[in-house]
Amino acid sequence: MYNRARNQKAETSYRGYQRNNAGPLNYQTKVRITDRYKVIGFISSGTYGRVYKATGRQGQTGEFAIKKFKPDKEGEAVVNYTGISQSAVREMALCSELRNHANVIRLIEIILEDKCIFMVFEYAEHDLLQIIHHHTQTPRHPIAPGTIKSIMYQLLQGVQYLHTNWVLHRDLKPANIMVTSSGEVKIGDLGLARIFKQPMHSLYMGDKVVVTIWYRAPELLLGSKHYTTAIDLWAVGCIFAELLSLRPIFKGEEAKMDSKKTVPFQKHQMQKIVDVMGLPTRDRWPLLASMPEYNQLSTLQPPLLSTPSHSNSSHHPYGSHRSQQQQQASAHQNPHGNLQKWYHQTTVSTPLTSLGAEGYRLLASLLEYDPEKRLTAADALVHPFFTSPTSTPLSSLNPNGSVSSHHPSQSQQGGSGAAAVNWSPTNCFEGLKNESYPCRRVSQDDNDIGFGTSNGNNNSGSRVNTAAAGTGTGLVMGQSQSQVAALGGSLGVGGGVGGQTQQMGGQGGMGGQGGMGQMGGGGGMAVAGMKRMQDAVGGQQQNPNKRMKGAQGQG
Amino acid sequence: MAANYWESTQRKHWLFTKDELAAMRAKLEAEDPNLVASFPLPQLRHLNIYFNQRSSPTHFDSSLEINRIGKRLTLRQQALATAQVYIKRFYTKVEIRRTNPHHVLVTAVYLACKMEECPQHIRVLANEARTFWPTDFQSQTEVARIGECEFYLISEMNSHLIVHSPYRTLTSLQGELGLAQEDVNLAWSVINDHYMTDLPLLYPPHVIALTAILLALVLRQDHSGRLPGTAASNSGLAAASAALAQAQAAQARAAMMAGGGQMVPGLPQQSSSSGLQAMLPPQSPAGEAPAEGTKNPRMAKVHRFAAWLSDSNIDIEAMVDCTQELISFYECHEQYNDKITREQINRFVKARGLDK
Repeated sequence: MYNRARNQKAETSYRGYQRNNAGPLNYQTKVRITDRYKVIGFISSGTYGRVYKATGRQGQTGEFAIKKFKPDKEGEAVVNYTGISQSAVREMALCSELRNHANVIRLIEIILEDKCIFMVFEYAEHDLLQIIHHHTQTPRHPIAPGTIKSIMYQLLQGVQYLHTNWVLHRDLKPANIMVTSSGEVKIGDLGLARIFKQPMHSLYMGDKVVVTIWYRAPELLLGSKHYTTAIDLWAVGCIFAELLSLRPIFKGEEAKMDSKKTVPFQKHQMQKIVDVMGLPTRDRWPLLASMPEYNQLSTLQPPLLSTPSHSNSSHHPYGSHRSQQQQQASAHQNPHGNLQKWYHQTTVSTPLTSLGAEGYRLLASLLEYDPEKRLTAADALVHPFFTSPTSTPLSSLNPNGSVSSHHPSQSQQGGSGAAAVNWSPTNCFEGLKNESYPCRRVSQDDNDIGFGTSNGNNNSGSRVNTAAAGTGTGLVMGQSQSQVAALGGSLGVGGGVGGQTQQMGGQGGMGGQGGMGQMGGGGGMAVAGMKRMQDAVGGQQQNPNKRMKGAQGQG
Repeated sequence: MAANYWESTQRKHWLFTKDELAAMRAKLEAEDPNLVASFPLPQLRHLNIYFNQRSSPTHFDSSLEINRIGKRLTLRQQALATAQVYIKRFYTKVEIRRTNPHHVLVTAVYLACKMEECPQHIRVLANEARTFWPTDFQSQTEVARIGECEFYLISEMNSHLIVHSPYRTLTSLQGELGLAQEDVNLAWSVINDHYMTDLPLLYPPHVIALTAILLALVLRQDHSGRLPGTAASNSGLAAASAALAQAQAAQARAAMMAGGGQMVPGLPQQSSSSGLQAMLPPQSPAGEAPAEGTKNPRMAKVHRFAAWLSDSNIDIEAMVDCTQELISFYECHEQYNDKITREQINRFVKARGLDK
């Protein structure tokens, strides 16, 4: 680790044009990226630019990932320069604030040089996409239970840190979760992250589509505009499932935006969720009917196994014909549809059985339909999955998957296989003996981190990925697209930081009426009021019943 | 905004004492004394008024119209507020006579809009800017100027772009303090005004918000007076100071009591809040505030606020200083001369070729 940076603020340095004396701006040359860092390879690329691996030239210890934001879209001339993209601004600003947690990737410094932005991060050797991929290689074998537990714990710690700092990540997915060679999990890629504290307008207005589709929460799929931290926890649930089964649990296909730029209902993705989780009901999710796309639910197929009563019914539980009987019938169904079955099949006869019923319950609480009932990061961290020294066998769950009255010690006595999983809250590789994860592949094709506009020297493998990543302009790149690209071409080349999602309007342009003219001025000066004021008031006091302690943090 | 204030870059890197600020500015001027001598500038607060007015030109939108926009207004004011903080931070690092202040101003607004999630297209802003300063923003180069200046701003600010504003504290305390909409509106405009002072570089946002609330309550005490600025300021200062002194005394006594209670085990244990209750005049417990309020509801509100403050651990001395700064700003505002300010800025911009 770059020890100086640990305790000091990240510096941002600008190297601008050296102008002649006649020039209006006298920017100082401060730091050149190539003076400070030696690029040792190219990692990945996305719509924002490229990521390189580097080492320090000036005594910095360790390795670094340098994210280079391109000044313009490929091929466009500098003439069309439109300023720094909003996602780059967000990432720079947020990473500068959020530098105090082991489970969020640490920003070392930002270097501004000509029209390029270089964000220097601590380097992480692995990411979850790569780790999952490794386990699918022959022979396919599950990730060790202790590793999964540690990854989940560290991931939730990082998410909790973001949320207590009023930041939504909005794009959690395996490719964005880094893991260092010492087993520390680090949330990366804050390019889509946003501040949510008392948003002045609906978060929806800024970026119409967020979160890569496989990890997108049901409330987003149903068109909710006021979403919350719960969307990140749904994604965490999806990641948990993927760590268990090595496949995305809800692998839907993204419906593309039509020519009118309206956001389509992601029917296929929602169907994938329903197949496992059952259809959401108003009993379990009271605000369900107020979701903008609520009526679309009637176009979905109920899952086969968990809803036998519906399979030969012409009525559908959604829509205007919904009957009281059916409502009651659905309430009696297994509230989690096929999830318990999914979990059982995934963990049975593997070391993962040791994660026990607690693992299932954590998963079910993260994949809770109702965002208000979904587990928060703080609650998840004290879930028995992490706190209980032993786990209870899955058979202790009662048939509908709800909380069992079974006591762990009872089941132990029952002899049906209570187990303890050894895991470390800070190192997900602790205790691993027979597993060696491959290092991130670093390509030598493009070591030219140089700035400027033409990247004529990128070719072959890296180029393929750029092309794939570039097609999603204007809307969120389907994970189906980017992740496939990552697995095919780029995971080869890293994949970790690639597969970037681009949000609408990200390039600084919400088309704009107004401009600077409209801002501010409201209320005008208080001088007038000041003038009206006359006599001083004696400061008699009244009974205090409020305390400031809580209010101080509200700056 | 993002991240909590206590861990923020704003608190760690962008709050200064008055002496520190003065030293930083003196250092900048000392770098090129001739430059400073050749181009005299109005006092800083007048420059700030100039920036403030230019970023919200009145001929574009009357403030009445802005108020009608409602929700969008708050968003935009937040961005404008952030932009003004950017300008202040930038000019603690860079001598103003080395820059084109109009480029810096427009760029700060452009960047703040992105940061506050109400992005404006660079070209829209550039066009806007050109209508105000045709010579500073020529159509071929203006976008490039803003783009370049954006890097400069971000760099000097060390990428610390997240600014915590007092508006949020104000709205979140509205209910707790029982503020009427008029109180909030007035406090809001006091906050607007504080961006023309050094206060955003000196005190945390919640201290500023509470000062604004106090001033708003005190200002609305009496609607009949039409005194000249100075007299008004004096009485306002007196009123605000009295309330603050009361709160401070109560705070200190509560602290003493709490301390004493620990040191002398024989004494009956009292919470700090019950200790304060004992000190208060018997006729004004909180529950009876409305009854007393019929006489002078405004007065009751000030008292209630002072009591609330005294039970907080707010830095009341900081509030005293904020109050004085604001009052003195309102006095200094009387002497603001827009024409002179504009001419002095244009003089060095032209003479040094900064408008190219």
